[in-house]
Amino acid sequence: MPLLVLVNIIATGTPWFDTGKLPILIAAIIAIGIVLIATYHRRSRERFQLRKIAGLEAVEEAIGRATEMARPLLYTPGWGGDIQRPTTIASMNILSHVAARAARYDCQLVYPTHDPVIMSVAQEVVKESYVQEGLADRFNEDNIRYVSSSQFGYAAAVEGLITRLEPASIFLLGTFEAESLIMAETGNFVGAIQIAGTDSTIQLSFFIVACDYTLIGEELFAASGYLSGDQSILASVRAQDMMKLIIMVLLLIAVIWASFAPDSTWWRF
Amino acid sequence: MRLESRHWVFLGLFLVILLSMLLQIDLGVKVSQDTQRMHDYIENLPPGSVLMLSFDHEASSLPEIRPLALAVLRHAFANGHKLIGVALLAEGTGIGYRLMEQVGKEYGKVYGEDYAFLGFKPQYIAAMLSMGESIRQTFPEDYLGRPYDDLPMLAGITNYEQVDGVISIADGSLTTHWVEYAGNQYGVRVSAAVAAAMVTTYDPYLASGQMHAMIGGLRGAAEYEQLIHRGGSGLRGMLAQTAAHVYVILMIIAGNVVYFLNRKKGRKR
Amino acid sequence: MRRRIPQLICGLFGLVVFLCYFSSHPTARSIYLTVTLDYWQIIFAFTLIVGAISFVRVNLRGIERGEDRSYRIASLVGVITMPLLALIWGLKGGSPFMWVFENIQVPMQSTVFALLAFFVASASYRGFRARSMQAAILLGAALLMLIARSTIGDMLWARIPEAAEWVRTTPAMSARRAILIGIGLGSLTTSVRVLIGIERTWLGGEK
Repeated sequence: MPLLVLVNIIATGTPWFDTGKLPILIAAIIAIGIVLIATYHRRSRERFQLRKIAGLEAVEEAIGRATEMARPLLYTPGWGGDIQRPTTIASMNILSHVAARAARYDCQLVYPTHDPVIMSVAQEVVKESYVQEGLADRFNEDNIRYVSSSQFGYAAAVEGLITRLEPASIFLLGTFEAESLIMAETGNFVGAIQIAGTDSTIQLSFFIVACDYTLIGEELFAASGYLSGDQSILASVRAQDMMKLIIMVLLLIAVIWASFAPDSTWWRF
Repeated sequence: MRLESRHWVFLGLFLVILLSMLLQIDLGVKVSQDTQRMHDYIENLPPGSVLMLSFDHEASSLPEIRPLALAVLRHAFANGHKLIGVALLAEGTGIGYRLMEQVGKEYGKVYGEDYAFLGFKPQYIAAMLSMGESIRQTFPEDYLGRPYDDLPMLAGITNYEQVDGVISIADGSLTTHWVEYAGNQYGVRVSAAVAAAMVTTYDPYLASGQMHAMIGGLRGAAEYEQLIHRGGSGLRGMLAQTAAHVYVILMIIAGNVVYFLNRKKGRKR
Repeated sequence: MRRRIPQLICGLFGLVVFLCYFSSHPTARSIYLTVTLDYWQIIFAFTLIVGAISFVRVNLRGIERGEDRSYRIASLVGVITMPLLALIWGLKGGSPFMWVFENIQVPMQSTVFALLAFFVASASYRGFRARSMQAAILLGAALLMLIARSTIGDMLWARIPEAAEWVRTTPAMSARRAILIGIGLGSLTTSVRVLIGIERTWLGGEK
């Protein structure tokens, strides 16, 4: 292998490392390093706790409401994401929690999606939650379904499901685009309690108007640690806050520097 | 069926838009800085520059996207630029080809020499990245099934290095990926013509310089039509848009009046 | 083992794509191209088959049970007809497939998209209330934006579009950037958690 590397460098004359991307590499190494250190080198007795997030606190209430009313729960991840998107993975973490509670309270959980891969992963996640609750027989694969890859085909399908099923609670968690308000308003018309969360900044404004609770961006990513209480995950959320602090300090320095020396360019990369 | 307040709101909006579409009044618009910048960008490119137009939208947003695309295409063809069309959402394929063909005919352009349409490639991030390496490998044939090498205008175009700019015509967040993957990674200049709802999503990219220029919504199309002295459905639609905006403003005011009256009644009790 | 192998594949590919990003060497670019173009496209093709099979199966079972029969039949007719039209007459302009696309699918989708306008109107009527000082500021900004984005802004006062532009490019953009930084960091930590294997829910396991 080293010989192959050497031959390649001599043959093409192109270096393996693109020096233009050095600042990005340094930033990436620092960021990943902080996450790894925070995750693996925390003190064993150290316990992390997140501030109260209303949207996540309301998850139990939403499931309880559906159980009391004997009406289904509807959970959908939005049209904008695919399985490699961190938001979709964060949404899966919440789905796992919701599915476990739905299994325990024998509440129907319907999960329409626009992506066959998301459908397959969601089926596995939900099934596993049912199995872990010891209630595998209650799992119905057909409730986790692919409806359409087309944005408004998907929107129309979800809207139709909401109108016909009249779910007691709706979870809109993932990457949403223009379909967000169509779903949120339809949910509002049927009187469902709605918990939304997305990384699409423009759709946040629609969710805030139409839904009962909205998880804003990073709150969605913190959900898995929040709901499970897993200390490794919570430690990585702490790392996230440390990085935010570093960025804030850098921003402050850059703003002050740019204000007093507008011609300097070192802070641009 | 019992009519609720929302049904009256819907009916009112329908009537307002219907009536304003029946009236043919040209309101005229003041050109914004963003639209002027987009216009100047295309205007100042030397004739024969290669622009890639990516039709990243679905059929649903056609009433808003069509005037935007037509205005940009007309301006680019009038200035003698060479255009490569691609579609990264399946539904943009037929629409993109038709629009390029229509405007190409208007300006007496020859397919294969002045413009080419390479068709659709699924998995947009993969397609953007792979065009950065090789456009020929990504699209071995054009939309009409002709080999890449048989199209004279594509001779010498290997990857983004030979493309002077990409214009993403989008109704969703696909333009973000153009900025993040094609722009940041391969250094190609990315601009956009987007649906109005997406404008604020791209503002940070425009301000940071990661996106070169942007026009948005029916208003953006109307402004652009005014700049190129070629009226179209953008200018024609401004009356309907203005009427709908006024209607929504009235609804917000009415909602607040009802809210404060109810609050006053509640206090009296 | 059922989870270990996918976890290893995920970690390995994550590392390869990460490293390739920092290299302009032809070998690295070629690996990158293979992963991004070939593998993704192959996986995508298979997922479409999975989706189509699931769609047909779920709807056939639904018809058997008598649930929403008319909707399900309409969906299945669409799913079967469109590929048939494409296979027999192709996808080019003027073909029956394109006729159905342009004259049925486009208007139907535009109709669903147009519903947004109605929902915006009802949401504005119901949700935009000046309940507090913050809500009143938000309401004021929304009204300013609505006026500026139509032609009445120019007619009423030339400064209205400028004021709206300031709101869009200064306070609104600052807030959006802050949210974007949070989202970026959240994405980064979630990705690292997935790659190092402390986040495994996506494999169908708790945690």
